[in-house]
This record gives sequence, C-alpha cells and structure tokens, in this order.
Amino acid sequence: MNRIFEIAAGLTQVPGVSGEEERSFPYLKETFGHLFDEVGVTPVSSFYGIRHSKKPNAPTILMDAHLDTIGFVVTECCDGGFLKVLPVGGTSEKILPASEVWIHGKETIQGIFASKPPHLQEPGEAEKPMRMSDLSIDTGLNCKKEELEKIIRIGTYVSFKSSCERMNGQCAVSPYFDDRICAASILRALELVEGEELGANIAFQFSSREETGIAGARTTAYHLNPDFGFVLDVCHAYTEGCDESRKCCYMGKGCVISYAPQTTRTFTEAVHALAVKEKIPIQLMGESGHTGTNSNAIQTARGGIPVCLISVPLKNMHTANEIVDLRDARAAADLLAAFLRKLPYLGKEED
Amino acid sequence: METFWKILKDYCDIPAPSGLEKAVRRRIIEDIRNFATDYHTDATGNLIVFKKGRKERKNKLLVAAHMDEVGFMVTYVCDDGTLCFDTVGGIDRRVVSGRRLRFCKDGMIGIVGSKAIHMQKKGERGVCEPITDMRIDIGCDSKEAAEKLVQIGDCAVFATDFEEFGDGMIKSKALDDRFGCALMVDMIRSDLEYDTYFSFNTCEEIGCDGAKEVSFQVQPDIAVVLESTTAGDVCGVPDTMCACKARGGAVISHMDNGTIYDKELVRLAMDIAKENDIPAQLKNIVAGGNDARSFQTGAAGARVLAISAPTRYIHSASSVVAKEDLISVGRLVKKLLERNI
Repeated sequence: MNRIFEIAAGLTQVPGVSGEEERSFPYLKETFGHLFDEVGVTPVSSFYGIRHSKKPNAPTILMDAHLDTIGFVVTECCDGGFLKVLPVGGTSEKILPASEVWIHGKETIQGIFASKPPHLQEPGEAEKPMRMSDLSIDTGLNCKKEELEKIIRIGTYVSFKSSCERMNGQCAVSPYFDDRICAASILRALELVEGEELGANIAFQFSSREETGIAGARTTAYHLNPDFGFVLDVCHAYTEGCDESRKCCYMGKGCVISYAPQTTRTFTEAVHALAVKEKIPIQLMGESGHTGTNSNAIQTARGGIPVCLISVPLKNMHTANEIVDLRDARAAADLLAAFLRKLPYLGKEED
Repeated sequence: METFWKILKDYCDIPAPSGLEKAVRRRIIEDIRNFATDYHTDATGNLIVFKKGRKERKNKLLVAAHMDEVGFMVTYVCDDGTLCFDTVGGIDRRVVSGRRLRFCKDGMIGIVGSKAIHMQKKGERGVCEPITDMRIDIGCDSKEAAEKLVQIGDCAVFATDFEEFGDGMIKSKALDDRFGCALMVDMIRSDLEYDTYFSFNTCEEIGCDGAKEVSFQVQPDIAVVLESTTAGDVCGVPDTMCACKARGGAVISHMDNGTIYDKELVRLAMDIAKENDIPAQLKNIVAGGNDARSFQTGAAGARVLAISAPTRYIHSASSVVAKEDLISVGRLVKKLLERNI
C-alpha cells in the first residue's frame, strides 16, 4: 500500500490540466521510463510506454488511464492583480472561494480564489447558486492589468494547489486522484511483473484530454494499435445521500468492474472470473449507456478494440480533496498483474 | 533572536480555535517570560501581561489581541462514520464545502465532503448546502471506527500553511488574530516608554467573551484592540463598499457593529499616522466587530480604539494580508504607546 501511495503521490505533484499535459512528460520519462522498452508522446499530448514480449506474434494489451486533470484557464487580467477564469472540465463553483491555486504563467505563481466578504453579500445570497463569473483569482500582485498580462497571458492554465496526504487507515487525499490513482495502479502492476516473461506486449497510454472529450484516448489507441485494452478510471464511491443504486461501489471494498455496452462483455467476464479465482476484491457496476470514461473512444478506435473498464472508487470527484482507499487501487494493480501472467482472454470473439 | 515574521508564521500555524487556546498561549508565554514584568493566565485562559515602562502612565492602558481563531467542532458521529459539525465562530458556508481540515488534538485530516458535480441534481449546481447538511469525512466507514478516533466536541481548523506570495502578501488561516498576538509579543520584548498592560484574550470569535473577563480584572481606562478586519477590495467591488483595502495602511475603526469608538482616540491615531507618514485608512462602512465592545462595556467602561490589518477573505482557509500593512499597524501602535495617554 505504501508503494502505491508513493507512486500516486509523485504523480499528483505534476500538473497536467487538459491541454497542457506536456508539463508532466519530463517527470514521467525520468521516473517510469525504466519500465518500458520505448516511451513517447503523441501530437495531442498523450504519453505512452511500450514493453515488448519475447514471444513471437504476441498480442498487444493496452492499459489506459488519463493524464489530464480538471483546472481553469485565464480569460482576462484585471487591475489590482486579479484574474478571471473559466473551468477546464467541470467543477462545482461552490468549492472555489478562498481555495488555493497554481497559475502556470511565464512562471508558476500562487493564487487564491477571491471570496465575497459577508458584508457585501445580500441577505440570502449564500443560498443562491454561485457562478464562475462572480469569481476571480487574487494573484497577490500589486499591478495594473497591462503589467499582469506580461506574466499571465489569456489562455494561461490554472490548477488546484493542494498536497497529497495519507488520511486515517488506508485512505489518501489529493486534488488529482482522478485519474492519477489509476495510472498508479497500472504502473504498480507493471512493477509487479517487472523482469517476468510475459505472453503479451504491454502498451501503457496516459491519455490527454479526457476531461474535455476523448481526443487523447482515441488518437493514442490508434497509434498504439492494441489487440484489446483495459481502461482505468475513477468512479463515484457511495456516500450518504446518494441514490440507492450507487451502493454498488463503496470505498475500500475493491476495484470496480463495469458491465456496459461501451465495454466488451466476453473480455469483462474473463477478467471478472479471474478476480474471483485469484480472490482479488472487486465490486460490479452496470452502466447501461455512456461510461463517462475513455472506454468508448478506445472501443471505437480503428476497426474496434475490445475494452474492459476497471474503476477505483473515489469521493469528492473534481474537487481539491478527492479521496481514495489505497486498498482499491492495490486491488486494481493486482488484477492487472494477474491478467498479464494468466492471459485468460486474447481479444477474439467466438463466431 | 527570532524575527517578527518568524513569530507570526509560527503563531499562525498553531491550531487553536475558541476555547482551545492553550497551544498558542503556551508558545506566547515562552516568548515573553523573560521580558514581561509580570504575567499570569487567568481562570478561563486569558493571558494578562504587565510591562513596566520608563515612566508611569497617566491612564491605565491595555493593549489587547485575541488568541483564538475560527474553526469547527464535531457535534455528532454518524452511522456511516462521517461527522456532523458546526462552525466555531462565523464562517461563510461557501468557504467550507470541499475543504481539508486538521484536527487539533492529533493533526488527523478530515475532508468536508462535497457532492461531485456529476451527481448534483438540477438546482443544486453551484449552491452551497447549509453547514448542517455538510459532513466531515475522516476515512472511516462506521460509527464504531470513527468513535475510536474522534468524539463529540473535538475541534478542527482549516488545513493550510502560512505562506508568502504575490507582491509582499501573506496567506494563512489564522492571521485573525495571531497578527495582533505577534505584534504585542514584539512590543513586550522591547523597551517601552510607559507602563502598559497587555492581554491575549480567549473566545473573541464566539462573542468577545475573554475580553469581558479581562476587562473586570484589569479595569483599564483605555483599551487598544489590535485586530484583523475584512478588506473588500477584490475584483469588481466599488471603492465605497470595500470597508478597507489591502495596501491601504493601518485601519482605524470609527464605528462597527459592536462599538462606537472613542472620538478623541480615533483622531489621535489619525494625527499620529499623518505626523509620522504612516499609511492609515478609516474603515468606510459599518461592519464587523471585535473585543473593543467588551472593553467599552466591561466594568465601569473604558475608552476604546481598534487598529487593524486589512485582511482579504477573513475567516477562511486563506486570509490574505499585505506585509506593508502589518508594518504600518506596528509603527502606528508603537508611536501611540510612546504618548502619555
């Protein structure tokens, strides 16, 4: 559990708001390059690593997690050192006032989302919805709009500034567990099988721009041309007050296997059976339409790629304090490692 | 010798909400014990200090700041292992949702849960739920597990660190009012012209209670309160509504929701600022309140003055002040104490 936390903590310290994922490339190459025979990046800023099997005609298994995170983008510089921003990916405005951010301008500087002092609020205003247009970021800089624009141009990215920390028990918190915790699971799985002879090539893709669409996953899957692949993403863990149906995913009860039309059933069944056999804790989720992940983008890339979706339950998604239970991430890593050793599915449908 | 800024940072990072001031009080005592003429902690936790000056003063003068900060208290441990809580002191609900907190007794982390945007129903978007509907998540999945770690009445504060950023700005959870505490410690550690009393009060944030008790014990003729006060100079707010501005200098209150200040003292403070080229501003709207109200109405009453640091996003995880304003407040207070008032 400590190792998976270590990997995740490292990954969450590297910014990568959708559209500016390249900030994380040096760290990824440096830290995880040794797990692959080749690494590279795509024209739309996905990162990938390939590990070859010595076996001739070995199938290639894709392992996808998305690299990008939600954040904000600067739309206007204002007098007094303030910035107006819009969200990149969705977040709830209500968690923003007085929260801390990094502003990735000419240099990376700190900022704070301004909050409206209570004396300026109309009676009952706290009950009304907040809008992004009411919010601004305080850079603490004492300058006019024109000077501010020299450091921070329109289009500058902004990300949450908050550390990755262990909580009580096996829980941990960070603003970027969506989806860095899943990348940590994949990388941990690759560490577990490091040095072993495997019957398949592994293509790890850390895809860009999931939060804003599917640009990264579809193009990277095209480039890597796998026979079939795993998509790893986070899902909402059940919390008090959610719909009853959300009780399918609890924190700490294992990684989640999705049955969905946007994933491949025979593949999913093989993974499910393997988890049962290996006594790896899993939970099941049924998703009758869109999965809200990269699964569909990859499934429909090239002439169709069979996919299996595995999720790690998470609380407070798209906030500065996303919580995961490390045991669930560990279960996902164990399941992937077991799959790579056993290969219970090879990417073919029966006639 | 530690600088003022180091002391301020240390004080700000100590978790000490109202009623739990012990940790900050202990540190203050460490810092003043060799410099104060006399000091004692009273029955309810206020720290009262006397510092002999070169001369006796015409009036009995007390300088005061409060040790407590705003925070959170556990009110119930739920079946699912989350915690119901309430705020200690006034905190806008909109700076609470989704926040990381730190428990005072052991540093344990808690997160104020926030429903993911994906699961918010129509009408819930952007609307901040009342505090009574929020829960603190400490990573437990049952009441039994949670009760091994916390009990009703345990307190937490915002989990953020003191940091400098921008052009000479400081961010911290507890500038209100560790700044006042740090400034008083700085004065106690220096030579004073006149005899002066200092009090480090408890429980300002929940009703200026410590000051009531101090008032009875010290019975000052004049009380000067050192505070942080809300600065509304953020993007889009007209000057007339700012109350005061960061980088605008020391804030002198003439009237707030608790006190009409002593006119002569207000005038004197403004004159001293002018004579010494110390940036100062009058609070331009009537809002907020502080321990001055308790001193004005304590015992037989006292003449009161409040000098404050303009503070953006006060009572949040990220209160922001300009260092230059803190320097202005310090200079103004020191010049004031050099007068035989």
